[in-house]
Amino acid sequence: MSKVAAATPSPLRAVWLKWRFHLNVLLLLVPLGFMPKYLADAALFRGDSGIGERVAGEVQVGPWSLTLAEFRNEGPRPDPAGPMKFFNAALCANCAEQVKATYLRIGKPRSLRAAGVIFFGTPYRMGALLPVPERTPADAELWVTMEGWDGTMHQGSIALSQASPATIAWLNKQGVKP
Amino acid sequence: MTLIRLSRACATLLLCAGFCPTAVAHNPMCECKEIPGEQIQCTGGFSDGSGAPGVTLDVIGYDETILVPGKLGADSTLTFKKPSAEFYVLFDAGPGHVVEIDQADIPSQ
Repeated sequence: MSKVAAATPSPLRAVWLKWRFHLNVLLLLVPLGFMPKYLADAALFRGDSGIGERVAGEVQVGPWSLTLAEFRNEGPRPDPAGPMKFFNAALCANCAEQVKATYLRIGKPRSLRAAGVIFFGTPYRMGALLPVPERTPADAELWVTMEGWDGTMHQGSIALSQASPATIAWLNKQGVKP
Repeated sequence: MTLIRLSRACATLLLCAGFCPTAVAHNPMCECKEIPGEQIQCTGGFSDGSGAPGVTLDVIGYDETILVPGKLGADSTLTFKKPSAEFYVLFDAGPGHVVEIDQADIPSQ
């Protein structure tokens, strides 16, 4: 038996020593704070909350049309290949089987080869990562090029200010580049 | 001891979260610059850091005629004589994977 008498802790320290272990319960509460964002993201990725955070509208492309949406209602994100903005789209119900490829570009394409970025995914929910040059004018237009299985090609456009006001705000914040 | 184990478990979880596989995009990239001798050198690649040897890079006139049909070399670059007509450079890594560079955007030496 030890002959060294244990020092009696102060009342405050005694409470701390007795209850400190139970602080780990707080660790369970931390994730709860992130749950709303997690559930909103899960709904967005699954498509439960639609094709994107903000639906820009319908774009008529020849005989076809598509619903364009911003995946995130925010400005372009930085990328090694330049600022990138993610758009989602859904083809019209009766053109899903007729359209072979859909492209997106800021400004009118010079040719089908230079039609811009291609949409990936199913006709009901497809996505494209669009490069946004920093010197893009605020009155720029977003051009959609659609190529049919029958070889036909159609183009349509929507104002960038309508497609993504957040991108326009980002461009205005950047200032006009030479 | 329990606290130490708990700390270790938390640290491991955090590390796993940090290194979890994420979708790494590989967007096409291309840069052109004017070099001495009225020449233009273009370098292609992808945003994941990989090069683009053998990828098509065409120099196209504003009237859509191909002025210089080319492919990037083993060092992912292509050098060509500056055309006299108005042109743009098209780095073409496949449909929807293109980069266009207008002649006005090519910095002079």
